[in-house]
Amino acid sequence: MADVINIRMPLWQLSLLVLIPLSAIAIMMVLLRCMAYKHRAPGEDRDWSVPPLADGGGTSLLHRWDVRCKTVTILVCSFAIASLSHLTPALIAIGLSLTILLIAKISFTKVLLRLLAISGFVSMFLVVMPFSVPVHNGDTVLVFNGMDSLVFNLRGLLLAATIAAKAVAIAVLMEPLLSTAPFPVTLHGLSRLGIPEMVGQMLLLSYRYLHVFRHEARRMFSGMQVRGFRKRTELATLRAMGNFIGMLFVRSFERTERVFDAMRARGYQGRFPEPAELHLQIRDLVLAAGWIAAGAALIIYDRMAW
Amino acid sequence: MHISDGVLPISVTVGSYVASAAIAAWSVRRTRSEELPKLAVMTAAFFVASMVHVPLGPTSVHLIIPGLTGALLGPSAFLSIGLGLLLQSLLFQFGGLTALGANALMMGLPALACGWFFQKYKGRTQLQQVVVGGLAGALGTVLAANILAILLMSGGEDFFGVAKIALLAHVPVVIIESVVSAFTIGFLARVKPALLQSSFLRPTKAAHG
Repeated sequence: MADVINIRMPLWQLSLLVLIPLSAIAIMMVLLRCMAYKHRAPGEDRDWSVPPLADGGGTSLLHRWDVRCKTVTILVCSFAIASLSHLTPALIAIGLSLTILLIAKISFTKVLLRLLAISGFVSMFLVVMPFSVPVHNGDTVLVFNGMDSLVFNLRGLLLAATIAAKAVAIAVLMEPLLSTAPFPVTLHGLSRLGIPEMVGQMLLLSYRYLHVFRHEARRMFSGMQVRGFRKRTELATLRAMGNFIGMLFVRSFERTERVFDAMRARGYQGRFPEPAELHLQIRDLVLAAGWIAAGAALIIYDRMAW
Repeated sequence: MHISDGVLPISVTVGSYVASAAIAAWSVRRTRSEELPKLAVMTAAFFVASMVHVPLGPTSVHLIIPGLTGALLGPSAFLSIGLGLLLQSLLFQFGGLTALGANALMMGLPALACGWFFQKYKGRTQLQQVVVGGLAGALGTVLAANILAILLMSGGEDFFGVAKIALLAHVPVVIIESVVSAFTIGFLARVKPALLQSSFLRPTKAAHG
């Protein structure tokens, strides 16, 4: 094995090395956020628990694909991407995910929101790992004059970049999985695949009442603000928040009882009506096979090429 | 803090899926079957509570409340948290689907531990309930941070530094979480003490089997 390659640099370049990527990430996040919110429809998010009245979905290949095949394929591919361990295959995976996004013809806004949500965690890796990874033989490190304890390890940067690429590739795949069919249909497909039907039902119920409770929380919070409550870093704020959460629980639990009584009064016996009929066709299977083969090829490339 | 996709080694990812599925199955068995729709609606309440942001100096942190969930739901808490995380990764944009098992372990195990701790030591007086509630809140976050660190360290020596930073980032959250939990438990003890009983969700003695 080769020895550690040391590249000496003056100290001022350290600030350059850290500040430039950090500010680049920050500017990109702000830009993305602006873009995401500008494209967002005014008012509420669409409530997915309410089935669409018209068949408003697109007509792309993914919209027509059988929901069971689609779910299994995308899940298998996500795990395949998660098991990659080199940067090049991970970047190819991003390319594949973006291609699928284009084929599915869905809006980029939600994808951007997904990417923003993981950006904090992923940029922590990008910033921390180059400095924290232990130096092994064969690594290339940047050493700064005057600060010998602080080394910038390029292997750490590569590792962090691989993780970031995998995270992005999988996050991008999630949107084609979910927004190319109404959510109840996706859940129905899952239950036909052997996931207990109760899981899907509980998800639908939670999602429905999440909106209800969020409205309730917002109303309670406006009430607090009217009475002069302002958030500050102090004990009184924490006490108010504690009472607020307690009140939210009390109201929600009481509502839960009423909801369940109402469901039983309408004859609920553990089932909801089926939202759609599913028919499996040959071309669904062919598409699934092709896609999974692409995932397998990525893994093989990942393991063989190095 | 949720683990995102692609961070953990694939063996840990799959292993934590299997472990959480097993614990979730146990959690379902400890909940009566006709209570499951109710549990779903309550999960929504916990979800909303976990989106509450508390100011901390110039920024704000959001609560994770594994302690409160455990204290109120007992053994059903793991199921509730798993459901919440699944919902979060499907419909909101947080948390990855492949990291779901790891995230469920990270939040669900502390909730179970806190539920047990709270029910065992809550005593009869309000003051004791408040103190134990606060401790449970702190315990939940400390455990969650530690599980996160252990999961990250399973990636090998290269991840030790990140794990340390993640642990440190949780220190202020522990304090805030503990104080808010104490106040919430105090409020519930005054307003609706029935919610703090362990018999909640399990009114009859026979568990669903």
